[in-house]
Amino acid sequence: MDDVFTFNIDAEPESYDPGLASGQPDGRVCRLLFEGLTREDPKTLEPMPGQAERWTLSPDGLTYTFHLRHGIHWSDGRPLVAEDFRWSWLRVLKPATGSRYASTLLPILNAARYNSGGLTDSSAVGIRAPDDSTLVVRLEHPTAYFLYLVQFYTALPVRRDVVERWGNTWTRPGHLIGNGAFTLSYWRQNEKFVFEKNPAYWDAANVKLRRIVGYTVEDLNTSTNLYKAGVFDWNPSGEIPSSYIPSMRRYADYRHGSFQAIYFYSINVTQKPYDDVWVRRALNYAIDRDAIANDLLKKSRDPWGNMTPAGYPGYERPPGFRFDPAYARECLSKAGYPGGRGFPMLRLMFNTSEDHRRIAEVIQAMWTRNLGIPVELQNQEWGSYMQATTSLNYDVARRSWIGDYLDPNTFLNIWRGGDGNNRTGWNDARYDALLDRASDELDPRRRMALLAEAEARLLDQCPVIPIYHYATHELVKPYVQGIYDTALDIHPLTHVWIDRDWKSRATQVAHDTRDMR
Amino acid sequence: MSSASLTAMTGERLEGRPQSLWADAWKRMRRNRPAVASALFLLWMSGTAALAPWLPGMPDPTLQHLALGATAPSTVHWFGTDELGRDLFARVVFGGRISLLIGFVGTLVSLLAGVSYGAVAGYRGGRIDDAMMRFVDILYSLPYIFLVILLLVFFSRSILMLFVALGLVQWLTMARIVRGQVLSLKQQTFVEAARALGIGDAAIIFRHLVPNTLGPVIVYTTLTVPAIILQEAFLSFLGLGVQPPAASWGTLVAEGARVMALFPWMVAFPGLALSLTLFCFNFLGDGLRDALDPHDRRDVH
Amino acid sequence: MTTYLLRRLLLFVPTLWIIGSLTFVLVRLAPGGPFQSEREIPAAAKAQLMRDYGLDQPLGTQYVRFWRNALHFDFGPSYKYPGRQVREIIAEALPVSAELGGWALLLALLAGIPIGVIAAVRQNTRWDFAAMAIALAGVSVPNFVLGPLLVLLFSLTLYLLPPALWQSPASRILPVVTLATAYVAYVARLTRAGMLEVLRQDFIRTARAKGLAERLVIMKHALRLGILPVVSYVGPAAARILMGSVVVESIFEVPGLGRYLVNAAFNRDYTLVLGEVLFYASFLMLLNLLVDVAYSWFDPRVELA
Repeated sequence: MDDVFTFNIDAEPESYDPGLASGQPDGRVCRLLFEGLTREDPKTLEPMPGQAERWTLSPDGLTYTFHLRHGIHWSDGRPLVAEDFRWSWLRVLKPATGSRYASTLLPILNAARYNSGGLTDSSAVGIRAPDDSTLVVRLEHPTAYFLYLVQFYTALPVRRDVVERWGNTWTRPGHLIGNGAFTLSYWRQNEKFVFEKNPAYWDAANVKLRRIVGYTVEDLNTSTNLYKAGVFDWNPSGEIPSSYIPSMRRYADYRHGSFQAIYFYSINVTQKPYDDVWVRRALNYAIDRDAIANDLLKKSRDPWGNMTPAGYPGYERPPGFRFDPAYARECLSKAGYPGGRGFPMLRLMFNTSEDHRRIAEVIQAMWTRNLGIPVELQNQEWGSYMQATTSLNYDVARRSWIGDYLDPNTFLNIWRGGDGNNRTGWNDARYDALLDRASDELDPRRRMALLAEAEARLLDQCPVIPIYHYATHELVKPYVQGIYDTALDIHPLTHVWIDRDWKSRATQVAHDTRDMR
Repeated sequence: MSSASLTAMTGERLEGRPQSLWADAWKRMRRNRPAVASALFLLWMSGTAALAPWLPGMPDPTLQHLALGATAPSTVHWFGTDELGRDLFARVVFGGRISLLIGFVGTLVSLLAGVSYGAVAGYRGGRIDDAMMRFVDILYSLPYIFLVILLLVFFSRSILMLFVALGLVQWLTMARIVRGQVLSLKQQTFVEAARALGIGDAAIIFRHLVPNTLGPVIVYTTLTVPAIILQEAFLSFLGLGVQPPAASWGTLVAEGARVMALFPWMVAFPGLALSLTLFCFNFLGDGLRDALDPHDRRDVH
Repeated sequence: MTTYLLRRLLLFVPTLWIIGSLTFVLVRLAPGGPFQSEREIPAAAKAQLMRDYGLDQPLGTQYVRFWRNALHFDFGPSYKYPGRQVREIIAEALPVSAELGGWALLLALLAGIPIGVIAAVRQNTRWDFAAMAIALAGVSVPNFVLGPLLVLLFSLTLYLLPPALWQSPASRILPVVTLATAYVAYVARLTRAGMLEVLRQDFIRTARAKGLAERLVIMKHALRLGILPVVSYVGPAAARILMGSVVVESIFEVPGLGRYLVNAAFNRDYTLVLGEVLFYASFLMLLNLLVDVAYSWFDPRVELA
């Protein structure tokens, strides 16, 4: 009870094999069991030394040399060596592995060609392990955020002999060997995970928790109830039903912060009349984002007219969309539909969810009122929704995007023509060229300026309709220390601890909490 | 007199004077106060729902007041408002249009299909019964979600598809129940007697056996009504039923359930509408069965 | 009887074959596939996944392979959860659903039948109305309203029971009650209806005339027949309830089969859907067979052959 921390992982992970992991729940488990070259600072998410104690970057920005710590081991005692990293990364890049996030490592020299099958010799990929404690990585282009990529879960190391021996059951408790702060002692699907402190972890002396229990509760009401009943010590962001957020604000348990994710609608520009930029502009200016964020969502989110979130030091966002119904009507007239006359039925599609539905209803009313166009809502179950968006069989669809690392590129890269995550059919040579120039640019300020220009172009051509900027809303018990709001909603749990003397420092506690401690 | 022979006699009398059983039943129904009250209430609800768009003073169910948000019942908004500030009373009334329609028609279809199918299967027995019941099993086992998705893919959304989707499953258990009853009834002497008299199979099934199964059939039918209404809500989550901003009682109840602790009126009023409808159908059903039953308990003793 | 049983058991085979084949086609006709996600999977990775799971082979080959493996109860790996076999998932989740469903059904029968009998015997009195009102309330309040309501009351206000998770015996109470409530209504109503039909019949009058005690008349003679509609209803109801209820499992976080099946449908997890469907169908047919045999036991006049 005292040094045991219980929380909600949020959903059953699809796979917590770092090479195969893709979603937030997968990542939470991976980060407990494995550690990368760098690890995130719990407050700022900046890369701090992890398995590597220091690193150097060559002046041309293309070669990183990582020096691993002395005395790092796997949980079974075997020493961890640079070759472990090299093998793990090549495994991720190997097409036969089917890794979903191989994109993390694509900045590496020849990685993209190897991953797409164009190159079969893995030794041509720019990763070398000249000795047991040195890893040399050569990049295709200078990549300002590479150190963030290196702490992403895809880049976490795995044990070759374990993977080869057990195949796709190597992640089970009893088989899995990791190098993280915790080991996996129990797992049952849809029930829970139990992690025990790993004594072989290099920083074990500073790990105060003895055990962590992670449940996989998907239902938001249930998760919040379990927190209220004292079962969960931490109810992570996204686990509070949005209608309840205003009522949570008065409790000290409630924490909120900015989250680098954007909720938007994507427009299928291959479908008439949405191929006309004036139609798209009309749709954008006819939405009152403030009303949505402040009135409907009760200020639990920020209205947002840009396609990059806040919080990138040195990045100056171009001006975003504002509510201007008169101008919106002008745009529509320019497109040939004055007053909405002759405009075909707009099908607004979203996947089944209360939140998506309410926002869609509000926007439907706004477009109908401000533009005079007919709008029909289409609620679809997940599979059909995915199919429709990827095959460009829609008019306007709800989307969202979460940042992977702390750089605007993670939001801008997906709008390149032909990117698998684009799903709008938008292909703009000028935009792609700006991004290419930015990726070659070594000077950080000029690079940021180029990215901002790209975003300006994106907003000008608007194949997308930004709506709101996400925020994190979580509940943390007063006796839990070491959990902070972070921009990417990543929470390393390694240095979390239970403060038994919290009561003497307490102010106000959530009403419904039974005092079980 | 045994139920068998009385029914046989009643059946014969049907040939000669078709009015008497129904007129008799009608008289009995009128005496059953809860049934009459229920019928009137249902009529009133249906009427209001049907005429809703033209009723003076009826608020617009889709008019949003975002800044207002969810408010408790008041003189302005009799049932309160939902999170988009829409009048809940109007939404419940308009929601009734879909739900009552589905409740009546869907249940009727399921009743007719289930009863005929089950009675024939039970009466024929043997291999035919096996085959017919296995067909029911097959339909029952197929994953419903996929059937609905495919209906949407191949036929796209329409109210006809909604009824098809609803009808696919509801009649199955009814068929099973009726079959069970008929299996038991067909051994009775009145059936032999009827056959000896030369009455055809169809007549035996529908004029003699089915009326004796009416008790459980009516009960199951009335219980199906809320199930169908809620099933429509499930279908709307799959993209088939009503699409927002329209609502049905099922979708209103589902919405309200999520915010039950915050805005209880959002689930209470649609839920009440649903419950009241069910109660009415039940009293009506009971009344109907009592009225059609050749042996009213009071007569026997 | 034995020929009847044999014939029915033999029928399992073609029926299961039809169900499996239809499902095999149905799942592949639905738009989308197993490897879709909000974050696009690179084409090379997707191609590899298709190869790994044999989805790149012609349908005929997949079909044959599926049945060949199914004969050994091997339904393949789940597409959504790599490294887990469908058979494993079902083996793990089924006992949980079965326990939840079993208790709920038991509760439904133990509560519903007496309520129905009392209502029938005291027809049109206030006992009848009270019993029926309770039963009806149960069926008109859907699971997803009743569950949270019970949690609100017993967990978050009275602090008597845990709000979710399937762990201690106390944690089983709310999910079981929530699940059972609708079934209680059906059982009670059907029992009442069945009993009313039976109580009108001659042999009951005869038994009473013979001077048998009322209780004996009801319990020994009437109930046997009056309960038939419940027996017909219980067959498919039991199959459905044992395979889990997605609503109750979601609200109370019970690791049962219900959620798996619904999620599998949305995720287009073909193998898991097929495995569950075949399982469910087998269960259903077995239970229906038991129910039919039970008919002839309850009502000696019924001839099955």
